Amino acid sequence: MMGRVNSVRRALLAGTAAMVGAFVLPTGSVEAQTKGGVVNVATVGEPPTLDPMVSTADLVGIITQHFYETLFTFDKNWKVTPLLAETMPEISADGKVYTIKLRQGVTFHDGSTMTSEDVVASLKRWMDLASRGKQTAGIVAGVEAVDANTVRMTLKEPYAPLLALLAFNNSAAVIMPAKKMENPLKEPVGTGPYKLKERKADQYIQLVRHDGYKSRSGEPDGYGGARKQIVDEIRFVPVPDANTRIEGAISGQYDYVDALPVEAFSRLQGQKTTEPVLLKPFGWPVFVMNTKQGIMSNLDARLAVRTALSEEDMLTAAFGSKDFFALNPAMFPKDYIWHTTAGTEGAYNLADPEKAKALLKKAGSEGKPLRILTSRQYEFHYKMAQVAAEYLKQAGFAVELMVVDWATLTQRRTDPALWDIYITHSPFLPEPALTGLLSESSPGWWSTPLRKKTVDAFNSEPDPAKRPALWAEVQKAIYAEVPGIKIGDFNALSAKSPKLDGVVPAPWPYFWNASIK
Amino acid sequence: MTRYVLQRFAGMIAVMFVVVTVVFVIVRIAPGDPASVMLGPDATAQDVASLRARLGLDRPLVVQYVLFLGQLARGDLGESIFLNRPVLSALADRAEPTFFLTIFSLLIASVIAIPVGIYSAYRRGSLFDQATTTLAMLAASIPSFWLGLLLIQFFAVRLGVLPVSGYGGPGASLATRLGHLVLPAVALGVVSSALILRFTRASMLDVLGDDYIRTARSKGMGEFRVVMKHAFKNALIPILTVLGLTAALLVSGAVVTETVFGLPGVGSLVVSAVLRRDYPVIQGALLVVAALYVIINFLIDMLYLAVDPRVRY
Repeated sequence: MMGRVNSVRRALLAGTAAMVGAFVLPTGSVEAQTKGGVVNVATVGEPPTLDPMVSTADLVGIITQHFYETLFTFDKNWKVTPLLAETMPEISADGKVYTIKLRQGVTFHDGSTMTSEDVVASLKRWMDLASRGKQTAGIVAGVEAVDANTVRMTLKEPYAPLLALLAFNNSAAVIMPAKKMENPLKEPVGTGPYKLKERKADQYIQLVRHDGYKSRSGEPDGYGGARKQIVDEIRFVPVPDANTRIEGAISGQYDYVDALPVEAFSRLQGQKTTEPVLLKPFGWPVFVMNTKQGIMSNLDARLAVRTALSEEDMLTAAFGSKDFFALNPAMFPKDYIWHTTAGTEGAYNLADPEKAKALLKKAGSEGKPLRILTSRQYEFHYKMAQVAAEYLKQAGFAVELMVVDWATLTQRRTDPALWDIYITHSPFLPEPALTGLLSESSPGWWSTPLRKKTVDAFNSEPDPAKRPALWAEVQKAIYAEVPGIKIGDFNALSAKSPKLDGVVPAPWPYFWNASIK
Repeated sequence: MTRYVLQRFAGMIAVMFVVVTVVFVIVRIAPGDPASVMLGPDATAQDVASLRARLGLDRPLVVQYVLFLGQLARGDLGESIFLNRPVLSALADRAEPTFFLTIFSLLIASVIAIPVGIYSAYRRGSLFDQATTTLAMLAASIPSFWLGLLLIQFFAVRLGVLPVSGYGGPGASLATRLGHLVLPAVALGVVSSALILRFTRASMLDVLGDDYIRTARSKGMGEFRVVMKHAFKNALIPILTVLGLTAALLVSGAVVTETVFGLPGVGSLVVSAVLRRDYPVIQGALLVVAALYVIINFLIDMLYLAVDPRVRY
């Protein structure tokens, strides 16, 4: 059984050499630090909620991961590793029964001890409320407490992404006390190394050390391993203006500044008070196609869009220097186990208006309006949209650029009558099955026999060694049916004070293990 | 006089009712949805619909309006969708930075604009007048966010004497909190001073040419007394008006400045509420701001009574 468990661990979220490099924790220095100090973190804004189950927003995950924990998490190689679970689960031979042993003596911030009842109640809440939990609920036959420290999840069919879903930190399967999980959440009570002391909306979120915290033994290992409570406090301060965040980093007011425009890189270099932190690569922008209704419901029209575009020009307009982006048609960067070029040959960065015109004519969509829904919430979305619009006009599309605020975009994209393409982005997720584009219910509504065949095969394959080849088939299907166009890879820029130690570039930065010199 | 006050008061009530209705309708017909924002980018349409139902946003508009009026009648502005707390309490939290920012900005603007405006008018056509008029034009044209960033660059980054942004951490003293307001108050004060200066100058010019000023001078009265006691007092009404309007604008939220400096004031509350479509907060904040506008205007009208007895008739 353990061999099987180990192989599940190996392949479910096998990471990359580069990510290892990016993620290596300076464990020696962590040990050497003395306790104390406050880490001031400037964030992009105020989180919409402190309930990590109900939101998929990255900011919610970044903050709440310090006070809520999941059964599993990701190590520095993006493998699933236990957190509140004692070990990786025992999985039955048919891949349907997961028996999860819990760590003993783990206490919540209110002093109560975590039991299997809390875990069962939390997982049920997750399946009721969280979008990723609801996605999972359909294949879960039951969740039960075996004893005070053991939980059993029974599935209707094998579902390979389950552990990654249980490990993810947004729309997260966090563990709460059974008695403190009302909705909406009144009081965040978790098991994390830090607990919420005070939240003053738009001013700060103050976290202080949870004195009853029981860390895993050993060394820090990405999001897994030991979580050391070195600093006394972590303060998340919303600084919505990007220029102010840059100045806040340079002035030394903030120890860590998240989400900076990449143009600020050179300004941050050579400063005594701060230094740039580049997460390379961070994520991928995507043009999502409305496959359900309108001009983009025709495959030839979608192919025409892809043929017309110059991804290189779009990325250059959006990110400037090639230091901050990479042309890459594959859904994952080279160092990921999921990287494959399958299906991408001759389907990327074409900028061929004549061929696109022919495809558009074949689709019978010439002269029909093509509505591109975008927002300036993320300036790079808008810049890419502007460049794309020009290329698409050359190919004969009647482009209507609909620039709205993010709240309007998130509402409009749910109505297939209102748009043809919308622009979004995603960090590289440790498990491909979490990609929104693959879901039939996500805006875009890609639902074809080929999608079902390839995605179902990928999700139900219990043998980790076989999953990368199955992912290649999914990627081929994406390139064959164009439910979206991946524009490329881009990097994320943050800044940190030289006084701040133990913080590594990560898509969702965390500050346990951090220390202030 | 009592009749005048009552008339103005009745007008206030009517204006507020119109504001309540307009705010409710505009907020609801604007695109965007708090449920989508709260649930994040990967939420399904089903999740959004179920949260909308829980928030009562799926009810007919008329029903929502009647419920809203009922709440208002009880003095309840509702509960913020995102902050999980009463709107009134969220607004009360934001009152301090906005109040002090308004006071400081007005003080800075008045200290710059009124004496300079008076002297410019007195020395009409002089080099001083021309220079200050040009500077006022410049100040009126500078975007406050740009001036804010310049101030941050110089005082916070280069000199390191003032904070870049925020309003102090947990347990920050009043002095620390007020220290965070210096740069935004200067940015707003300089920009606001342009309008006040131009009004002061124009109003003084009108008055300085009047017969009673010539009479005062012919009686041998000193220039300072002529300008300050006779001219300035009579020039006050337009100056009070512009001061009142500036105060109302600042109270309603120096939105851009608060965003640049990361100040948790009324302006930033309104901005984040609009971006998240937090309907109760948008409605509540706009109502409070509208009420403040109306009250400030009412107070200015009352000041007119004190300054110019002719207003009573």
